[in-house]
Parts: sequence; C-alpha cells; structure tokens
Amino acid sequence: MSVLTLRLAGPLQSWGASARFTRRTTESAPTKSGVVGMLAAAAGIERGDDERLEPLAALRFGVRIDQPGTRVRDFHTAHHGVTGKSMPLSERFYLADAVFVAALEGDRTLLAALHAALRAPVYAPYLGRRSCPPALPIELALHASVTSLHQALQDEPWQAAPWYRRQRRRDATVSLAVLREADDHEHHADVLRDQPLSFAAEHRRHALRTVLSTTVEVPNPAAAPTRSAPRHDPFDALEEESARCS
Amino acid sequence: MNRIFLDVHALQTVPPSNLNRDDTGAPKTAVYGGVPRARVSSQAWKRATRTYFKDEHLLDASELGVRTKKIVEAVASRITALDPSLTRETALRIADETVKATGLKTDVPTRKATAAKAAEPDPAPEAKYLVFLSARQLEGLARLAVDGAADITAYLKDKKSKDKAKEIADTRHSVDIALFGRMVADAADINVDAAVQVAHAISVHRVENESDYYTAVDDENTDEETGAGMIGTVDFNSATLYRYAALGVHQLAANLGQGLREDEPRTDPVRRAVEAFVHGFVASLPTGKINTFGHHTLPDAVIVKLRTTRPVSFVAAFEDPVRGDQGGHVREASERLAEYIPDIERAYGDEDSTLTWVLRVGPNTQRLGGIGTESENLGELVASVGQAVAERLEKPA
Repeated sequence: MSVLTLRLAGPLQSWGASARFTRRTTESAPTKSGVVGMLAAAAGIERGDDERLEPLAALRFGVRIDQPGTRVRDFHTAHHGVTGKSMPLSERFYLADAVFVAALEGDRTLLAALHAALRAPVYAPYLGRRSCPPALPIELALHASVTSLHQALQDEPWQAAPWYRRQRRRDATVSLAVLREADDHEHHADVLRDQPLSFAAEHRRHALRTVLSTTVEVPNPAAAPTRSAPRHDPFDALEEESARCS
Repeated sequence: MNRIFLDVHALQTVPPSNLNRDDTGAPKTAVYGGVPRARVSSQAWKRATRTYFKDEHLLDASELGVRTKKIVEAVASRITALDPSLTRETALRIADETVKATGLKTDVPTRKATAAKAAEPDPAPEAKYLVFLSARQLEGLARLAVDGAADITAYLKDKKSKDKAKEIADTRHSVDIALFGRMVADAADINVDAAVQVAHAISVHRVENESDYYTAVDDENTDEETGAGMIGTVDFNSATLYRYAALGVHQLAANLGQGLREDEPRTDPVRRAVEAFVHGFVASLPTGKINTFGHHTLPDAVIVKLRTTRPVSFVAAFEDPVRGDQGGHVREASERLAEYIPDIERAYGDEDSTLTWVLRVGPNTQRLGGIGTESENLGELVASVGQAVAERLEKPA
C-alpha cells in the first residue's frame, strides 16, 4: 500500500464544500474534491473527462491540520462591463496562514505518476481557489510501503511554520487533528459532500464522503528542553517530621 | 506535453493609500506569519491589468474581447459587410440562428411603445447575458452564416456545421479571455479556463491600518459660523507589497489557437499576449482612492522566470515579517529574495533550462542584480521575455 503526502501552505487558501452564489465559504481543512481536482489538473486531465478522473477520486483521502490559520472574510464587488453598474456583492472566505498535510492512499503506479505531475504540472496547482497559489512546492513524499493512511499522517514531520512551532516549544510533541475517510469497520463518522464524481464545467457532481476525526502525536522539532527547577515543597519537611514521629 | 510557465514577482512600495477596500471602507488585510499584513485582492489587480491593456493600447482592438448582449447585431453587421446583397432582416435572422447554434441563448427584447409609434424596425435579438467574444470569433460566426445563407435552418441542422459554430466560439479567443478566462452559465462548453493565476498581493512587513480624521471648510461660511462644513475619517495604510502571478504559456497558446492572420507564425499571438501581460501586470495599479492619496508608484524590483516545470511563488521568504530597521522595507525584502530564491530552487531541483530576468531600481535592490539577466528598462524586459517565449514555443528546451 502506498501513500502520497502533500503540503498545503500559503498566505491564503479556500476550500469550499457547499459554497454557492454570493457567499463563498471555506471548510476549516482541505476538501477531497479540492485536492483531487488539483492533482487532476496537474496531470492534465480535462474537465469532463470523468473516466480519467475516476481512479483519482477512488484514492482514500486524509488531511492533517498542522497549523489551523485564521478565517478571513473578503468583500468582493464587480461591475457590469458595459453600463458600469454594480453587480451583486459577494463574500468570499479564506483561511489565512494555515498549513495542512494531505494524504492519498492507493495504487503505487498512479501515485508515482501524480507525484511526478506535481513537479511538472499541466495546469498550475492552487489551494482551493485560483488566487491562492501555494507558498512552497506541494509534494512532500511518496511513502512506498506504509501500513495505512493514518500511519503516513503519523510519520510525516510537523510542517507548521517556525514561528508557530516556537510558540509550542515547551511541548516535546504536539497533538494534531486528522480528518480522514473511515475504514469499513469504523463507525460514527461525519459526512461531507466532497467526493468528486465529475468536474465537467456544465455539471459538477459530488457524492457524500465519510469523514472520521482523530488525532496524531508528532514530535515538535522546535521543542527546547525546559530547565527543571529544583524540587522545593515546604510540606516535604512536615511529612518527613510526621514519618519520624509515627 | 511541452510545458512553459512564466512567473512574475514584484516588490512595490505604496505610500499611505487605500487601493482596495472592504465593506467598511478600510484597506483589505490578511494574517501571514502570525502578524497582520496589508492585502490587495487578486481581482483588483487583474481588473487593473485588463484596464491597462485597453487604456495604454498594448494590444490591437481585434485581439481584445467585446463584452456585449448585442451579439446578434454584431454578427449581422459583419454578415452584411461580407455579403452586401443580404438585407438587414436576413442578416439578423441568419446571425441569430448561428449564434444559437453555439449554445448561447437569445431573446427578442420587448419593443418599447415609443419605438412602435415611430415605426422603427423590430429590435434585434439579444443574448440573455453579457457575452465575451473576440473580434475573430464574431468574424468566424459571420462567415459561417454567409456560407449557409441559402437555407440557414437546414444548414445548421447538419451536425458538421453545428459543430463548426461551437468550435468557432471555443477557439481563437481574445487575449483577455485567454488570459483571464470566461464563464457562461448556460453554455458551459464554451467556458474558458484562465491561463493566468494572480495571487493576492501582501505586504512583506507587519501593517496596521490607520485612520485619517479630516475636516472640510465651507468657503461660504461667514465669520460668525465657525467650525467645519463636514468631518469624517478615511482608513489607509502604507506598504511594501510582494506581488506574484503565474502564466501557463502552453495553456495560453491552446486558448488562443490559430493566429489572427494566416501569414504570421503561430507563436506571434502568444508572444504578443505574454508581452502585454508582463507589461500590464508590472505597470498597472488599482485606482481605489487614487485622487485622495495619489499613490502612483511603480515596482522597485521585478523578477521574471521562464520555466519548464511548475511556477514557484517566493512569498514564503516573507513569512517571517521584514522589520525594516534600516533603509525602509525594500532593502531587506530584496536581500531576503536574493537569498531565498537560490535556496528554494536548489532544494527542489530547479531545471537548467530556467531563464531569469531582473528589472530593478536604486541601491536598495542591489542584491537582486546577481540573480538573473538585468534589463535596462521595462520595454527591454518585456521584449526579451517575449522573444524567449517565442523561441521556447518553436524549439522546446
């Protein structure tokens, strides 16, 4: 079993799962449709080529929240091209300053091809919305033999920015939220409508997908050993006293 | 597929200004590297770039799109020019059928009562929304209509001619459509995916918005009426922005299709579009509150890269905000870029085929001189980028 891991980091990202019309919201973590769409674009799969999309959509998907970021609301105006009259106002939401690790599990040959496609994409990748280019190259690693998607998300080093890691320097490890497709035997999963069926321009279609939230513990490379103060508890003396008296 | 990406980076300082504001009137912001930054949205700068093409005549009108509902009339006037023997009514009718064959919907607008009284001719059918078509697409539709003028309905029933109509609307796009894309809700198969990706510009340093309290004097006030005629506040900030855009040249070439004239090489329209984009993106400026703040500035430094792999943004060089202890923010920002660019390109395996150009101003940007071929001026930069693109298209690296 192979897993391809990706780093999704940039000043702004936006991952809509139910965004329509004038209010374009974002989920708090990358969606499967957004990430699979990005990989399909890198591989040069045209919109509407559902046959070539299918194996990509069949990959199992998980994402780890390395740095949650903050939500930004953007106010968007547009003007009519001829009359200059203003068009309906729209709101767009972004995640600022966030870092995620996404993972896709499946056939090794397919994942190796996608890994190569990210290095030389046909259509340049973006983080959910075209105006959000990645700040760093996306591909992290192709884990050729891991036991599970969960394992790959556990093994990948913490990708948060140095300033963010320093804030947690007292912690030798950090606990990161993971949202991944549930295994057959796992229950109590949430559902999200982001399983891509078709990216055809005239009719995008998505199915429901199960999402299970768990956490992983990863080491903090910025952890500084805290100087431990010598133990000082005045009641120790009392205890010693009472021990002697009894 | 032969991949060619162009990425454009600019450092630009704007004095106190408010070029792109949110619904409260304050300049847009974002958080990056844990601190607040000034932000100018990608939409604002794309609009500025498009407007610049038109205002500065960077491109011939025939290469720009026409955004209109009166598409039937536009095609009809070209039909009568091609075949003057056709009457206006016939031209309108065959134009309407041809436009409909592309998948666009048209309607005859209701006739105004005054127009009926004045015995004006019936209004021409109009598209139900604004349609963005290039001059050569309108021309192509007109030619098709003239070919089938004898019996247009039967002619367009033939699958071959119907497909031709769709193909015309879907190829040889205008330069602005090929660069920035097109979206038509109910004829989705003629949508165009943009070849350009523009990032939101953000400041390389920490920025907090400030507020300017102003009073205005009423000139007609008498000595008894003291005090202001009106008061208010304007929010603003001042920033050194990092601007980034990436252009998929191979995608642009596919969007543009065949050249406008039969006698020119296929690479010419691509080259002109690339040159216009680089020039327009570098030199344009959103005009929000420009008469209040007069923030007319140009970038201090521009870096252009032509690559065979993916485009790369250098915004992470500024994730740790620039402090600007000496020489403003431009000097430190330039130093950061001069160190970061070779670093990230080494780490992720930059190709030998990557070409780099630099255009820079003043001693603060000196460090950037070493990272590529220096251009004397914007014209020279644009011309050498255009030439390299044409060469790559003809002879892939």
